[in-house]
Amino acid sequence: MSQSIPAAGSGFALNIKGAVKHFGGARALSGASLAVRHGTVHGLVGQNGAGKSTLIKVLAGLHRLDQGSIEIDGQQHDTLTPHLAEELGIHFIHQDRLLVPTFTVGEALFLGREPRIPGTPFLDRRAMQRQAAEILDRYFGLRLPNSALIADLSTAEKQIVQITRALLHGPKILVFDEPTAALVRREADILFSLIRRLRDEGITIIYISHYLGEIEALCDEVTILRNGIDVATLAVRDTSAAAIASLMIERDIGEMFPKRKLATGAPVLSVSRLSSPGKYQDVSFHVGQGEIVGVTGLLGSGAKELLRALFGLEAPQSGEIVAGGKPVRFKRPSDAVRDHLALVPEDRRGNGIALDLSVTENTTIASLRRFTHLGFLDRAGERAEVDELIERLQVKTSGRDALLRSLSGGNQQKVAIAKWLSRHSEIYLLDEPTVGVDVGSKVEIYRLIGDLAARGAGVLVLSTDLAELVGITDRILVLFRGRVVKEFVSSETSPDAVLAEATGSLEGRRHVS
Amino acid sequence: MSVNALFTSTFDTDSETPPAKRRNWGGQAAAIALRGGSFIAFAAILLYFSITAPFFFTIGNIGNVLGQSAILGVLAIGLTVVIIAGGSNVVTGGIDLSVAANMGLSAAVYATVIQLGYGDGLAVLAAISTGALIGAVNAFAVVIVGVVPLLATLAVMNVVAGLELVLTQNTVVPAATDFLSFLSAAGPFGLPVLAYVLLVFTAIATAVVQFTPMGLRLYATGEFPDAARAAGLPVKGLIAGSFLASGFCAGLAGILSVSYLSGSTTGAGDMLLPVVVTALLGTVFSRRLVPTIIGTLLSALLVGFLVNGFQLLNISSTLVNGVQGLLIILVVSATTLLRRQEN
Amino acid sequence: MTAGLASRGANSGRSILDRLVRYALIVAIITVFAAFSAAAPTFLAPANLQSILVNNFTLLAIVAIAMTFAVSAGGIDLSVGTAVDFASFAFVSLVLSGQPVPLALLAGVASGALVGAFNAVLIAGIGISPFLATLGTLFIGRSLQQLLTNGGNPVYLPPAGIPEAFRFIGHGAIFGVPFPLIVVLVVIAASAAVLSKTRFGRVLTAIGIQTSVARYSGIAVPAHVAVTYIVAGAIAAIAGLILTSTVTVYIPSSGNAFLLNAIGATFIGTTLSPLGRPNIPGTVLGVLLLSIVSNGLLLTGLNFYWQQVGTGLLIFVVLSISFVNQRAKRRA
Repeated sequence: MSQSIPAAGSGFALNIKGAVKHFGGARALSGASLAVRHGTVHGLVGQNGAGKSTLIKVLAGLHRLDQGSIEIDGQQHDTLTPHLAEELGIHFIHQDRLLVPTFTVGEALFLGREPRIPGTPFLDRRAMQRQAAEILDRYFGLRLPNSALIADLSTAEKQIVQITRALLHGPKILVFDEPTAALVRREADILFSLIRRLRDEGITIIYISHYLGEIEALCDEVTILRNGIDVATLAVRDTSAAAIASLMIERDIGEMFPKRKLATGAPVLSVSRLSSPGKYQDVSFHVGQGEIVGVTGLLGSGAKELLRALFGLEAPQSGEIVAGGKPVRFKRPSDAVRDHLALVPEDRRGNGIALDLSVTENTTIASLRRFTHLGFLDRAGERAEVDELIERLQVKTSGRDALLRSLSGGNQQKVAIAKWLSRHSEIYLLDEPTVGVDVGSKVEIYRLIGDLAARGAGVLVLSTDLAELVGITDRILVLFRGRVVKEFVSSETSPDAVLAEATGSLEGRRHVS
Repeated sequence: MSVNALFTSTFDTDSETPPAKRRNWGGQAAAIALRGGSFIAFAAILLYFSITAPFFFTIGNIGNVLGQSAILGVLAIGLTVVIIAGGSNVVTGGIDLSVAANMGLSAAVYATVIQLGYGDGLAVLAAISTGALIGAVNAFAVVIVGVVPLLATLAVMNVVAGLELVLTQNTVVPAATDFLSFLSAAGPFGLPVLAYVLLVFTAIATAVVQFTPMGLRLYATGEFPDAARAAGLPVKGLIAGSFLASGFCAGLAGILSVSYLSGSTTGAGDMLLPVVVTALLGTVFSRRLVPTIIGTLLSALLVGFLVNGFQLLNISSTLVNGVQGLLIILVVSATTLLRRQEN
Repeated sequence: MTAGLASRGANSGRSILDRLVRYALIVAIITVFAAFSAAAPTFLAPANLQSILVNNFTLLAIVAIAMTFAVSAGGIDLSVGTAVDFASFAFVSLVLSGQPVPLALLAGVASGALVGAFNAVLIAGIGISPFLATLGTLFIGRSLQQLLTNGGNPVYLPPAGIPEAFRFIGHGAIFGVPFPLIVVLVVIAASAAVLSKTRFGRVLTAIGIQTSVARYSGIAVPAHVAVTYIVAGAIAAIAGLILTSTVTVYIPSSGNAFLLNAIGATFIGTTLSPLGRPNIPGTVLGVLLLSIVSNGLLLTGLNFYWQQVGTGLLIFVVLSISFVNQRAKRRA
């Protein structure tokens, strides 16, 4: 399946130098370099927002670098396109499986390179089916019914189809992006032995993951990204998960986080034995008035789903939620909002703020009733409120009528929070509040979060930026594979300790062969 | 303002909701019920009519239905290609509202060419070219200018309908040639030639759309444009081609219509909504619940048999509209509720 | 007021284009008006202008406003014509059977609202996409009308049996202003106020622009969407009432003739708004433009059928501009 590939270790399959990339006001990459040797498994790690996905998207030809050079197999290719990347033999195993749900496995595998019945323009469906079954069985021991559609497959099976599709192209570089996030142990092991086999066949592999135990077990070298730049590239046998972890974390915190006075009151939010099979199990905790509680966990830990359940976006199967002193059952976000909850979602542009509505419209969208008299909007009152919030939060905008599209990520996030300030919410759920936000705005947002608590709200922050979490919260809950495995008092712990629990690297080390 | 929302359900709004990963058993059962149910319903209708309506189950009558369904069938199949390439239920929402007006104009062109004294050969060329040209305009508007298909084809439809009126002055343009008579006459085994035309056309369309790589790529483009692009497919070209195809089909339908009605008549636009509903309903006849050529054919025949049965039973055939409307709502409700249950 | 830097950047170049596009519509209206005045002497005659307003403009404006509500909320209503027809039918039937006109009027509006309610159940209740749902309603509505009229027979009001109130709606005048025109003006004013100045209107706009954000902000989206379609049906019903009063007959499925121009006018109207949003004043101007073009083309002696080509081309050009503009905005 592979073409002629130079011997392992000789030269670089990929050499990115000094990559710089801006998005509006934010700097995603600030001079990152990535040098991957031929025929090795090269790990790429970093926290959310460190620049991993941007770097990969640049490699995939989806973004163009503002500065920096890209060398593939010795050749300069500073402007990549998806087509060119594929021609150069770079293939990606993404998290969003790019497989058409209503296609059969055979069709999905051969889309774009469909075999024809010789001498005719017609699809050779039988050949597609046969070859597909053969390859899947030979390499993966996977047997699927001929008529199986992609939509009927499990996540692991889809991933295998995706990998097979890439392999059919004879790739030189395979990039795996968080491949084990939705896999069970057994499936992950199959993946690992496959990756080793591919490496032995001479394919270069870039492996992105948060599970440091896997990086330790699988990779030859690892590059650690932090704040858009590579801080180290190490040979895995010369280092450890713990060392990698501590390199991932921002040290230079200094005065970034406001001093916190730990005066907390009665619980504004209590959760008992909340469970949703397959997502999270038996979760119990509470958030007091004026308290900032952090929640963290890797993809698949259930933290995200938990937050969604608290806002009424999904329903837990069992357990109890008590908000503002009374037990509640949220069927939809409007129920949660009525009970004074607020959510600042991770996908800001999709769910947090409307890019094509103005600052004013975004800010008051949850609190319109305050500015309504007999059905009509009190525009003057609205204006006053928005101006006050813009001032208080220091939102940089050309005016209250500017569309959110024209604001930087950080300022958009401030508006996303301002919306709930206008509503006088009492319980704030913040999902990755500073992702995609420039450093300056980050500090302001931290101050803002502290302010929320100081005014008596209860705040729950979900974040995978552990330095941030330790810096701004009073307590931290760590979820691993659906359960709360540890609760820390923030002032008495460190990001490394939290990371160790979150990655289960202690556990991980035991299981990965 | 997002016109894209026109095709999305009120509830398909969450960018954080992951797509359903595995069809649960309830969903599977419902899907099978939907598909199996449609075939059963079709058979039941045929059965009912053959019992209650005189002459229903005769070769002559069935041939009649096939012939009468030819125009609707050809149009709906052309529209199906657009729906396949544009996506039947997601953001892009491929649709071509100009097919009926296109047919009307093509028919008018054909009849006019004949009237002017030229032969069938030129007339056929003219009609097909008209259809294809309109398809090209649609393709241009959607792919190059970037107007949403719904609105682009709506505007084109208006213009084309107007042009037809200008050409015919809102009158019937009679046309009778040997070729046309041949088309609307009876053929071998007592089946009308039009029936054969429908069957042959369907066979060719099926071969291209369901059995060639290009057909597969059309499906990929409509179902999952990102995956199609990732596979290096020329998405824009495929979408443009689909509009050309539907334009071509409309031209062909125009010729058939001239033959069937012995000229070009007004009121072609009335066919639009029946064609749209026919194409959309066709999905229930496919195993994967996607638009298919055969599915559309069956859907067209279902309508044909309904109209025919109603006629034989002396029920107003305009009730067929209501049946179609009900069917659309039932089918889409079922699929929408299915999807909601999965998420 | 603002805190610090303005982030205009690449926006200024485009805002000129924006302004051009916006004013283009008004310029177009003026140009077209002038052109027809020059080409056809009878165009400017007061009787003709009145005819434009009352005949072409009134009914289409009302239906287009109903459409604008639906489009504002991010959907579309293909069954506006159905609401017009059902209202007509109820109105005529009740008057024929001797009921007082006010009651008949109420029944008419209620019928339109009922059509809207049906749509609401499909769209907000089940979650069917607005296009397909209203398409289904349109179809079912057609058949129902056939059934109710025993096969599509128009329902006439005999000249002798027309109550004064009935006649007034279609042909009366207050201080010389034709009553239908007054009704239209009231509808325009009320709708514009609702869409741009009320909480409901603001919520609709949010739902139409980014439904997910509205939902995540605690807005009860299905409820608002439901009300929107009911309101659209009720407004369209008003057009049915005026239509029937004017021609004293109900013809089944005649309301669908408004559909395409209503859609066209609504989208022409969005180009008028600086933010590209559907809006009442824009829709009204769109209707005005379409009316003037139809009437003018007729008067210049140009083949009657060029009207449709003309309006079709117009809609096409405006849409193209609108979408090219939107795309450019998105790239920035």
